[in-house]
Amino acid sequence: MLEVIKSGLETSIQDWPGRQGYLKCGFPWSGPMDHWSFRLANVLVGNAPGTAGLECQFIGPSLRFTADAVFALTGADMQAKLDGVPVPTWESVAAKAGQVLEMTFPKVGARAYFAIAGGIENEVFFGSRATFNKGGLGGMGGHSIKVGQTLPVGTGGNGVAGRRVKPEARPVFVTDKRWNVEVCAGPNDDWIDEAGQQRFLTTDWKLSSKSDRGGFRLEGPEWTFTDKAHNKLPEHGSDPANIVDHGYPLGAINLAGQTPIILVNDWPDGGGFINPYTVPGCAFWKLGQSKPGEIYHFQQISVTEAQAAARRITALCTESSIETL
Amino acid sequence: MIYDAPRFRPGGDRFLEIEFGDELNLELNFRAQGLGQAITREKVKGVGEIAPFFSSALVHYDPDLIGYEDLCRELKRLIESVASSNDVELESRLIYMPAMYLDPWSDEAIDQYIEKINPNKERDPDFVARINGLEDAAQLVRVHSGTEYWVAALGFWPGTPFMMPLDPRCRLFAPKYNPPRTYTKTGTIGMGGGATAIYPVDGPGGYQIFARTPVPIWDMQQKLAPFKEAPYLLRPTDRMKFIHVNREEFDAIERQCAEGSYQMNVVGYQKISLQSYRAWVATLDMNARF
Repeated sequence: MLEVIKSGLETSIQDWPGRQGYLKCGFPWSGPMDHWSFRLANVLVGNAPGTAGLECQFIGPSLRFTADAVFALTGADMQAKLDGVPVPTWESVAAKAGQVLEMTFPKVGARAYFAIAGGIENEVFFGSRATFNKGGLGGMGGHSIKVGQTLPVGTGGNGVAGRRVKPEARPVFVTDKRWNVEVCAGPNDDWIDEAGQQRFLTTDWKLSSKSDRGGFRLEGPEWTFTDKAHNKLPEHGSDPANIVDHGYPLGAINLAGQTPIILVNDWPDGGGFINPYTVPGCAFWKLGQSKPGEIYHFQQISVTEAQAAARRITALCTESSIETL
Repeated sequence: MIYDAPRFRPGGDRFLEIEFGDELNLELNFRAQGLGQAITREKVKGVGEIAPFFSSALVHYDPDLIGYEDLCRELKRLIESVASSNDVELESRLIYMPAMYLDPWSDEAIDQYIEKINPNKERDPDFVARINGLEDAAQLVRVHSGTEYWVAALGFWPGTPFMMPLDPRCRLFAPKYNPPRTYTKTGTIGMGGGATAIYPVDGPGGYQIFARTPVPIWDMQQKLAPFKEAPYLLRPTDRMKFIHVNREEFDAIERQCAEGSYQMNVVGYQKISLQSYRAWVATLDMNARF
């Protein structure tokens, strides 16, 4: 088991791909934002792909191991120490009962992932252990972890220390605060005029501090629309960005009036605004590792290219990416 | 309008949106629900889940099992094979929902908005009445509560219903708040576009608001009988009828809900077909209002 000594900033139990299958009831998938790093953490400690671990955001937790364990940290380097001794990221590490893992904050990137051999075994809710903190479901009593809690750990682990993710199999985080993020056109790109589409793809969009695991707000120029957005039936609503309420895909760039919001893992899955573009799964690690104030430049790719890129990441999240020290 | 052929739009690498039309129309929602049932029944390879909405459906698929073009072809075939929506019968529970119209909590949220965000905001009930050509807020209450509502979809938040009026004499339209409200109380009932919804939890909101129900639609503690299976009350294709209550009744029901003793009125034996619905609509004077 793991005792929570410090909770960090909204550290949550997640599994991948999360709580799928209940979109029609309004449940977001949740799950880890940077699923590339998350999946590799599970591979390092010998867990099956769907095993639950922790997502640590901006400031990591401090945890005490109540039993000997093998764990791994991936994603952003939160300068972790085990009983005061620095712990490498992207490696599996052995911990003794009673030892304390302390994480602080990352210099580069935003989210660190913690996996433990055997996995975290909190209660399964609607098919997943993932936390939807705002919705109060999954995780520990519906929320992110809290000081004083004990996180149950599965007994089936067979982790081995000293395994490392090959450097070429890891995502590379930018150090100049500028991210090139892939997007696909649609579903509602035909509501934006040509000048607006051009503007979207050439602008430096700033990630707003009013962002969370449900939506990433972007700051930038005004949008302009096609005729379709202005001449429509009253049930669409009166704003040019209003449409008859419809389903929102994960990753949609949802245009709330004039404010684009990238819908991320804990997203509202339907509503009355258009989604001119969608960020595909292969770019989610970049969203997960960026901080408010950083800049996105969107690069349009085709659906087929996005699918191929997702496949390349999945191929890297396997045993073939592991080397032994 | 209802499109001659459904339109397929990609949403990134693993979603697809199907648009059947662009209006609030029971027939369009029947098509979306019918496709959802057909996909579940036929277990289409590579399709993860489908979320039908008013006049569209969102499909999640696994591109490693089926490509975008093949998926479109497969869905087209399925849409054609689903019997004409005319013949489709959908199970539909009727839920009687107590509602206090022109309630003090909506008033308070509107006051707050006028004070802090927009001093020129016309109060929601007066505004919705005016732009729909009604006499006053009292008539808005008669018209809004004069119909059964069709639960076309759940979305935005777990268990949140998007509903449309089934009686065309009760159709109303309302623009959404711009900018949105920062606070709305749980159970508040409001309208945006042509849709009516209930707020499942406290939170920000954009709908014009004018009523509130004491009965939860989302309850993680699952205290009342209809929540036995899941923490949400409603399912797509349910219908809802708002029943007027006064403050005293509201408070009593709220108390019973908290204790777990409230007997919810959920009628479960009915089915809805487009054919019988259309036949009824054809008998109505479309210019009449309650």
